Amino acid sequence: MSLEQYQGDMDMCCRCSTCKFVPLQKVGGFDFVNVCPSISKFNFHSYSGGGRMNIGANMLRHGFNYTDRLLDIVYNCQQCGACGVSCNYAMDMEVLAPITEFRIKCVSDGKTHPALDAAVAGMRETGSIVPPTGKRGDWAKGLKLKDATKEKVEVLLYIGDLTSHDAKLHKLARATAKILQKAGVDFGIAGDAETSTGGMAYEMGYEADFQTQARKNMTFIEQHGIRTVVTPSPHAYQAFKVLYDKFQLRGDLRVFHITEYLQQLLDEGRLTPTKRVDLAVTYHDPCHLGRLSEPWQHWQGKKVPGDRFVFDPPKVYRRGTNGVYDAPREVLGSIPGVKLTEMQRTKEYAWCCGAGGGVAQSNPEFAEWTARERINEAETTGAEAIVTACGWCANNFNAAIDAAGSRLKVFDIVELFEQSLA
Amino acid sequence: MALSKDVYAEFEAIVGPEYICDDPVIMYSYHNVQHAAVLLPENAAQVQAIVKLCNKHKLQFRPVCTGWTGKFVPGMIYLDLRRMNRIIEINEDNMYAVVEPYVITAQLQAELMKRGLHLNVKGAGTNCSAMLRGHGHLDQSTSGDDRNHLAIEWVTPAGDLVRSGSLGSDGEWVSGDGPGPSLRSILTSAVPPGATPGVFTKAAMKIYHWPGPTKFPVVGVSPNYQLSDIPPNMMARYYSFPSTEKMWQAEIKLGEAEIAFELMGFNIAMVAANITTCNEEEEATFKRLSKEVQGPGFFIIVAGNSAADFAYKKKVLEKIVADNDGKSVRSLEEPRTEGILLCQCIRISASLRETFRPGGMFKSIPVMGQRDLTIRWAIGAGKAKEPLIEKGLIVDDGGAAFGWGVEQGHLGKTEIFCKFDPLNPVAQKAVDAWHFEQSDRAFKERYFALLGYRNEANATEEIGRELSNYHKWWNAIQKEFDPNRVSPDAGALV
Repeated sequence: MSLEQYQGDMDMCCRCSTCKFVPLQKVGGFDFVNVCPSISKFNFHSYSGGGRMNIGANMLRHGFNYTDRLLDIVYNCQQCGACGVSCNYAMDMEVLAPITEFRIKCVSDGKTHPALDAAVAGMRETGSIVPPTGKRGDWAKGLKLKDATKEKVEVLLYIGDLTSHDAKLHKLARATAKILQKAGVDFGIAGDAETSTGGMAYEMGYEADFQTQARKNMTFIEQHGIRTVVTPSPHAYQAFKVLYDKFQLRGDLRVFHITEYLQQLLDEGRLTPTKRVDLAVTYHDPCHLGRLSEPWQHWQGKKVPGDRFVFDPPKVYRRGTNGVYDAPREVLGSIPGVKLTEMQRTKEYAWCCGAGGGVAQSNPEFAEWTARERINEAETTGAEAIVTACGWCANNFNAAIDAAGSRLKVFDIVELFEQSLA
Repeated sequence: MALSKDVYAEFEAIVGPEYICDDPVIMYSYHNVQHAAVLLPENAAQVQAIVKLCNKHKLQFRPVCTGWTGKFVPGMIYLDLRRMNRIIEINEDNMYAVVEPYVITAQLQAELMKRGLHLNVKGAGTNCSAMLRGHGHLDQSTSGDDRNHLAIEWVTPAGDLVRSGSLGSDGEWVSGDGPGPSLRSILTSAVPPGATPGVFTKAAMKIYHWPGPTKFPVVGVSPNYQLSDIPPNMMARYYSFPSTEKMWQAEIKLGEAEIAFELMGFNIAMVAANITTCNEEEEATFKRLSKEVQGPGFFIIVAGNSAADFAYKKKVLEKIVADNDGKSVRSLEEPRTEGILLCQCIRISASLRETFRPGGMFKSIPVMGQRDLTIRWAIGAGKAKEPLIEKGLIVDDGGAAFGWGVEQGHLGKTEIFCKFDPLNPVAQKAVDAWHFEQSDRAFKERYFALLGYRNEANATEEIGRELSNYHKWWNAIQKEFDPNRVSPDAGALV
């Protein structure tokens, strides 16, 4: 992959600005019309999806001029993909892919961000993109889980960097494991042998480091005969399912986010929530579980000569259509007492929590600003709690809630689901 | 081209350091042109101060909203009006809404629909400013152009703040023409060259009754949005006719009967674009639909205020169509497709799928005028497209034009596109030549006169002579309003 490969896509940008807004049919009023955190915060067109297309196309033609402003634009983007969804309602062009490639080019040209350099350096050393706070498998103490490094298991439960190393999030990992135990799933964890998927490093622009991590993970999986990975981390889910496939590293590994897996267990009657959890909630779609989790489309071809932008073979664009939107809602809907009210921006055009694309590390203030926007939106639903399915989202929301003095609570779906099991 | 440090500092003092930039990377992201600087003013006072400074330093400036189009010469001050994004007022009693330039139509429309109200949606789309001047698919029920502009707050090219119409007299937004100064023809570019000099900082837009739901029941995931149900007392149809004359006669009768909520003379290629989610699907659908039509046609939305009103309108429609030998394209009556067209045409105005997606670029000749006359011209312009289609230089749309009757239908909008790949220089050259020839033909054969398609020095003089020397009047007016010539000649606020 390279930026050059997307020259034609970037040239297609017609400067319509739809990348800045939720899909127009979904505009529900004056408020919550914006979909891109970066242009919403920084205002200059350059920070929008379209502005980034124009910059990329221009620099490919006229040379790369790395000003401080350019790097500010490059690194203040969560790469949440919302711009692409709105654009691709009407247009046939790649949007997020060239944005990511531009960042990869910056890194390969040595134009890096110090905070991201530090995060990736840490990952190289420790196997975690977040600084370790202890041993990776500490969260599992006392649960008597199978050790997938020693025993054969049907399912590998992959917890992820943040949840493994943030004591506040250990409850998510523990709830996930307890649910799987209750359902009688034959699963194990890799414990200290678990290592970062590299997905976040990829979004930060460090493609080689991502590939190193991906190979480590797939080697482990192949060596231990693992056929299925289940994870509560949308970032890990998207890396295993989409990015590994993009680089043709996934093989026939089956990958489930925990909400998809729970939906299956519910359908099979292996779990039945019976305890009431009386709570008015709204649900936040994590970008990596929603629009970014759409399966990778392998395509190689060329434009058919002539008038139209059609390709041989036809090119299938990833427009956010096939993300995971229903499973989390069905799991929530199965919990007695939970009342779900949707926010204005949901599913494929959900507003990002702010933590992705390395922004949590490179510009925490922007990450928190973005989360605060979401908290404001969640409050308009009248919900007592915002429920998500991602540790990064949860942490970022909690930071914004603390800063804003909001009374909104934050839960992960698995926490509520576990409470509902007798 | 770049501003001196001192001049930059003067502009910076107006908007603050966060809202000015002259970094090359910022410039190219806007329009591939090296502007002197981009500024993001917050209010009319800042706009005024910026414009005065432009006059002081003889710098041209240009205001832009969402930024779809525009002509830019290097070295301009670019006013990105993004921060001026408030709905000031929705006055349900007097039927107007006051907005700042960066309120997009989709926002205002959604707010109005909640209140049983609506506005004219311009063909450019609901992604554009709600205060945009122009025409759209709803012109039959909401009229178009400057008729929807009421009072306006305007910063002149010299930096004066002018309040037009009733706003200039008693502070009310209700009328663009008085009591108070009516500057309608100047403010809304009713005269060529079609530019609004200066900056609109607030405008009152006329609003209308909306007979539909407070919110469309859109289901599905993008780009496969559809309606779960067709709202009560609403329908969308596409009718084709055996001849252009029959189509136009039906258009006229519909206008006179005042039953159409939307009347849009789509050609069938545009329908194909709007109901499909990618170019491959569009191409196949266009071929299929081309076999289902008997000739030129139009798309219509009927919306009743009650079941009885709807039944009446539907009956009138059916009679008018039958009287003119029109036929509905049955495959478009299928509820899923009907819902897509209904919602998309009202909520988006259907622009992007049909314009930019197929080829990447389009060039258009739009004209507002006596509908039968402009249709006759468009038939010739369409025939002139056929060789380009045969050579594969432009997208095959059957050579068709499109357009619609405004109000009662004698007046109308007619437009014809060439969609092409802008990176293909042969296609670009062929389209430019077509554009020139057909614009020239319109003038020489006395259909209408377009400005701006010629670059020769004597072009304006030659055309102006035939149009009551409008250009001399315009130049005189412009000199008064814009003594330092800081407001550019062409391009409206988009």
